[in-house]
Amino acid sequence: MAELPTRSLSLTINGEAIGPVDVPEDLMMIDFLHEYQGLTGSRLGCGQGICRACVVILDHDDGTSEEMRICITGAHFFNGKRIRTIEGHAERDAAGDIVALNPIQQKFIDHFAFQCSYCAPGFVNAATVLVERLQRDPLAAGELEGAIEQALGEHICRCTGYVRYYQATRAVIEELGLAKEG
Amino acid sequence: MQHPHLSRRAFLKGSVAAGIGITIAPLGSRAFAALFESRVTATPEPWASPGGARFRIDAFSKVCGGKVFARDIRARDMPGWPRQQGHAMLLKANRADHAYQGFELSSLDESLHPDRIVTAADLERDGIAFPDSHGPDPLLPQGKTPLYIGHPVAILIWHDFARYRAAKNALKFRDDLIRYGAATGEVERPPYGSFRYVRVGGDTPFAPDEFSSLKDSDLFPAIKNRRPVWPDDPSLNGDVGERGLYHAQRMAEQLEQPPENWEVFQARYTTPYIEPGALEPDNGNGWFDADSGELHFVVATQCPQEAARETALMLEGSRFAVRHLNVHPGYTVGYGSKDHNIFVYYAALAAMYGDGHPIRLANDRFEQFQSGIKRHPFDMDYRLAVDRDSLKFQIFRAHLDVNGGGRANYSASVAAVGATAAQSVYYLPRSDLATTAYPSRAVEAGSMRGYGTLQTMAATEMMVDELAERLGVDPFALRRANLLEAGMKNTQGAIPGGAIRVGEILDKAERHPLWQERHERRDARQAEDPDHLYGTGFAISQKDFGTGAEAPMASVEIDAAGRIRLRQIAIDMGTGAATSQAMNVLEVLGRPADDIKTGETDWSELALETSGNPYTMSQDEQDRLSQTPRWTPRLASPSSASNSAYYASHATREAARLVFRHGLWPAALSIWRQGIYGGQANPYVIRLEDARWVEGHLTANGMTPLSLATLAAKAHELGLITGASVHAFNRWSWASAEFALGEERSRLPLDAVAVKYGDGADDDKRRLMSSHGYHLLDRQAMRYPDVQLNNAHVTYYSPVATLVDLRVSKGSGEVEILEHYSWVECGKPIVSELVMGQLEGGVAMGIGHALLEHMPLYEDGPGNGSWNFNRYQVPLARHCAVWKQGGEILPPLSETDPAKGMGEVVMIPVVGAIVNALAHATGQRFRDLPVTPERIQEALHG
Amino acid sequence: MRRLLLGALLLAPTLAVQAADDETLIEQGRYLARAADCAACHTAEGGAPFAGGRPIESPFGTIYGTNITPDPQHGIGDYSRDDFYHALTEGETPSGRQLYPAMPYTSYHLMRREDSDAIYAYLNSLEPIARSAPETRLSFPYNQRWGVALWNLVYADALQPEDAASHSPAWQRGQYLVEAMGHCGECHTPRGWTGAMDLDHHLEGGMLAGYLAPSLKAEALAERGWTRDDLARFLRDGMSPQGSMFNEMFPVMHLSTQHLEDDDLAAMATYLLGDSPPEARRIDAHPLEELGDSARRGRQGYLDTCAGCHGIEGQGKPQVAVAMEGNTTLRLEAPDNLLKVMLNGIAAQDFPGFARMQEMPGFASKLSDAELADLSNYLRETWGGRAGDVSPEDVAALREESGHATP
Repeated sequence: MAELPTRSLSLTINGEAIGPVDVPEDLMMIDFLHEYQGLTGSRLGCGQGICRACVVILDHDDGTSEEMRICITGAHFFNGKRIRTIEGHAERDAAGDIVALNPIQQKFIDHFAFQCSYCAPGFVNAATVLVERLQRDPLAAGELEGAIEQALGEHICRCTGYVRYYQATRAVIEELGLAKEG
Repeated sequence: MQHPHLSRRAFLKGSVAAGIGITIAPLGSRAFAALFESRVTATPEPWASPGGARFRIDAFSKVCGGKVFARDIRARDMPGWPRQQGHAMLLKANRADHAYQGFELSSLDESLHPDRIVTAADLERDGIAFPDSHGPDPLLPQGKTPLYIGHPVAILIWHDFARYRAAKNALKFRDDLIRYGAATGEVERPPYGSFRYVRVGGDTPFAPDEFSSLKDSDLFPAIKNRRPVWPDDPSLNGDVGERGLYHAQRMAEQLEQPPENWEVFQARYTTPYIEPGALEPDNGNGWFDADSGELHFVVATQCPQEAARETALMLEGSRFAVRHLNVHPGYTVGYGSKDHNIFVYYAALAAMYGDGHPIRLANDRFEQFQSGIKRHPFDMDYRLAVDRDSLKFQIFRAHLDVNGGGRANYSASVAAVGATAAQSVYYLPRSDLATTAYPSRAVEAGSMRGYGTLQTMAATEMMVDELAERLGVDPFALRRANLLEAGMKNTQGAIPGGAIRVGEILDKAERHPLWQERHERRDARQAEDPDHLYGTGFAISQKDFGTGAEAPMASVEIDAAGRIRLRQIAIDMGTGAATSQAMNVLEVLGRPADDIKTGETDWSELALETSGNPYTMSQDEQDRLSQTPRWTPRLASPSSASNSAYYASHATREAARLVFRHGLWPAALSIWRQGIYGGQANPYVIRLEDARWVEGHLTANGMTPLSLATLAAKAHELGLITGASVHAFNRWSWASAEFALGEERSRLPLDAVAVKYGDGADDDKRRLMSSHGYHLLDRQAMRYPDVQLNNAHVTYYSPVATLVDLRVSKGSGEVEILEHYSWVECGKPIVSELVMGQLEGGVAMGIGHALLEHMPLYEDGPGNGSWNFNRYQVPLARHCAVWKQGGEILPPLSETDPAKGMGEVVMIPVVGAIVNALAHATGQRFRDLPVTPERIQEALHG
Repeated sequence: MRRLLLGALLLAPTLAVQAADDETLIEQGRYLARAADCAACHTAEGGAPFAGGRPIESPFGTIYGTNITPDPQHGIGDYSRDDFYHALTEGETPSGRQLYPAMPYTSYHLMRREDSDAIYAYLNSLEPIARSAPETRLSFPYNQRWGVALWNLVYADALQPEDAASHSPAWQRGQYLVEAMGHCGECHTPRGWTGAMDLDHHLEGGMLAGYLAPSLKAEALAERGWTRDDLARFLRDGMSPQGSMFNEMFPVMHLSTQHLEDDDLAAMATYLLGDSPPEARRIDAHPLEELGDSARRGRQGYLDTCAGCHGIEGQGKPQVAVAMEGNTTLRLEAPDNLLKVMLNGIAAQDFPGFARMQEMPGFASKLSDAELADLSNYLRETWGGRAGDVSPEDVAALREESGHATP
């Protein structure tokens, strides 16, 4: 078997410390999750950073978070960092059964937001990042639609017309009082 | 030419799959529950109540990343498989004008060379019989010219992920891997199919036809020099083909020399080459266990039965000595592109050559563009004659050329379905529709949402709008004057099913402010905004659902605690079939199914057998075969053709009805009649037709409401029918037979029924349950719809209309959809949210078809492996007027309306509406799709 | 001097057809308006053609392209042919108002009268748009009439192209297209404090919107790997093995050069690289072992953040991202353009036909100064033939200039 250059990787995924584990130095993060961690919820859609079905949340130490496209970002970029994937949002009991969804997940299902759901992980993560940002820094009601367009606008969904994703996201933000009137 | 397999999905043959046993176990099934953190349809709170669905039955798993697509499966997930996952890729030739002379992997580091390379020579030597319907040359032999750009030449296999990934990265995008020899030009082949549908109606739309497909026949040409050739000198005294052609020629003559008061419109329309873009790319993962002779195969497909049968046939007789095939269809999504897909067999072959390792063949997006099934481009020559005084259409002539690409897929059928849909919502007294599907060196086209009708009906709506302008009449008035009304015949001479509510939709649309105020709004905006042109457009279509050979199966079972278990053969392609099928039970049994298994393929209790081709068999053959008590024209149909809402529901509801009628209802009567003198029931008259479910409890004529649990317990106690498994067949009409159920004998719209009796059943009844736990009933007086109904081509329609408001940048030619609104009539929707979701998604896909999506067909096209979503623009939210759109579902005529399929028609009117709005904005008629900024700039600025 | 120049240019083949009928003249004008890239300033993003309104950022404030549609009030509807030619070549309107020198009349003054007339005919064939462009707001003294006059004094009659007589017809035509029509020098020449071109260093590279518009001198182009064929292809397609157009050059291709005839593009390349072009320099990739410490550290950063699109070995991906191997930007002496692209990113770009380049994200918020320095050293040493001498401080300075915070 060939010797492919590897490198040690440690990171935190959904609150759980992973590694150190030796993986190829040029491995993409999506392959690390799929082939090395068995976490397949982050979907490979385009493999090229376009469709955003793969995005995960990168959490920073200052409490901010951002979307990362893991199909074009190397696994080692995340060395020492903390990420959340679609598998990590819902609250689960000791048996691993879902007890509660995060507000975005709940609204997405209430609104029948997705169909096949292949793109849903990306939308959940992007909308979650938006909601968390607005929780730190609310915006004026008049800016809400623009903020949603900004957050979700590049995500591809081939089943839906995006309508329910957008409406559900707006509903979450409004219900949490993150868009201030006037 | 031979009578072709011309109807939709006509290509499935036979039923008995070789000498290889087949088991199909969906990944969502209980056998696999332990694999996954949470079962796909497990929810911590009830997903539905008697009031309706609160969310999708599989919503929790979908929103938590737990829904398992076929693509997610690795060897480690599969019980009994070796844990190390191997991987494969297809090596492809991306020139189709030179002979292929082998490949060259020397650029690859020695250590990364594949562990196994499979070529045409291997398949030949090992006795692999690749499915005929996908042939020839699955792997191109040396010396031959590729049939199309992207023709695979080898399967490369690695036994581990790390080397596979490194090697694939090194091999991607290289154009020096394939050696080419002499220039040969494109491989020339005859058409995939060519048909003509001629109709000359009687004196009124209701009078018998003079000639039509249904009354007489479809017409078939001779093929000379790879083109269809029709008789030169047809006559009314000739055979049916000559008679049909005679009428076609009369029409042609009259269009050339029309009466004074006719306007003859002529235009040519073309449509784009479209990538379905299902986000889950094609994939399969298989392990061949040579010791046991078993092939285990996880695959993404819309048609697991076909995939399993064809895989078995392919491997039967090969050197591999396959004894059993375990197929695991995963959840997937396809919009048609995973129906009848050659990819399945490449993946199965990769597994066979895995040398004991599980092998996964999974396209990345570049590969999916390179090899995935496309939507057919149409080139359409339309002529329509109208009487200027009455505004009535006189003759419609449409000649269609359809580009099917490099492999015969459903091209012939798509060409036929496109032609027979071209009439859209209009009555056409005379019509001549000729259609030919041609091969080309493009990546193959096949089934994709719309299936030819999108192409032809959108063009019809562009034509009608332009014709109205030319006649100087209101486009709604022209449409109204020509509506196909209930009882009138379609272009094949068949009468569509049920009421036709197109006129109602027209009334609503015409009254809508978007339409009423269109001129004022445009003029006011243009006065304010010199940078843009504004316009509003409308279009309406009605589309068939189903294939003309639908074969749904379902079983409904209720346990003594009142839990309902539903098994369905349909696959949930993401549209919500699992949810809606579970909801179907609600009306009949008072609550939705608690447990649903979709994609179920083990229906051994029905012991059905099949032979012959439902589309092409003669009446004699059908009469003879239907004497066999367990014969059916078709065992199973794929999940496609918008077929779940109506056809799959038919089976679910019929099964539920049997459980109600022969289980719960007699149980209720028994409870209500408890006590002396017939108990509480005695003073009243109790009628079955008065049975009502109220908040999950059954009542009738004032009887005490009874919970499902109570009724189920009683039905079990009494040994009544507590489960039913059914099969049905539809050829634009349901097959029916008489079945004895207890004392009663009923004619049911089913061709196979098996029932289960409750726990308290006596020994006699228990003995009857000898067919895999069911009592398989013997049908009598079986009636299958006449084979001639194949020539109806369609009788089920759902209409949709869309209004679009848009603006065009004068400078860039870019189009922005500002607002749109749609109406859909789909009978009684099962879950309205799912219907609206389909509508919104369909409109988005239609916007892509009309404005955004296209690729070159050949050398620079997707076959060259450099296409992805950065070059191919699928609609994003900003293209869809996401905040400013609306739609409504017409209320059903009554709660007894059937639910009708609408998954495809929703995307059609928006296409015509956009082009018509562009005419309103720019004064230009665009006939080539998509209407790109370049085309608009060309039209605006020369 | 000016008279002499025009004499030299007269040797060049005539582009406009004499005594053409209207239709032909308009078509000719359309072509020439593209060659002169009028739309670059006079068509706003998404706006009606030539209706003005595109903001042009200058060190002295924002200048708005004017409406040059045939509207009599807001556009050039009242201009005679003479007026138009005068404005184009002298920078003065019929009413005597001085145009801001963002209007490249210092280049256009080399334009032949018949070409001006053709453009005039074309513009007059367009839909008149009754709208004024937004008012230009400049800082003192350029917001004063005398300031503009003074400014224009500095500009007047300055460009002195090389004598064309001894060159091939292609070279001559290329000179006219590059210097007069395409006014390439306006961006690719350094400017002094007045904003006027430093003509001693004509085409040697200028700063524009924070990026270097690199030198177009033959030796510099060859040093960066350019051949005539590649350069002509670059102008037509916006991409070539040396990379793809970005920043302010991208709209030039979009609006102008992609529409030019292949012969004209070849002529421009001939003019720029010369009738006997210097040989393009080839640079073989430097192996990792030979790189400096910073560059070697940068390798992993490259794999983590760049390789997904530019390829593990820098081979690029078709229609996604350019190859690093052979890339011209890596070869520039100053690392600034490279660093700014890494900081700011590049928006997704549509090239002619079905060609695309995907959006390149900016990494200002994702990578530290040290990481970016290592990365740029890796790129420049491996594929640019440059030393790995970019320091984190260099990155910090550019980061600040680009207005990005440190992550």
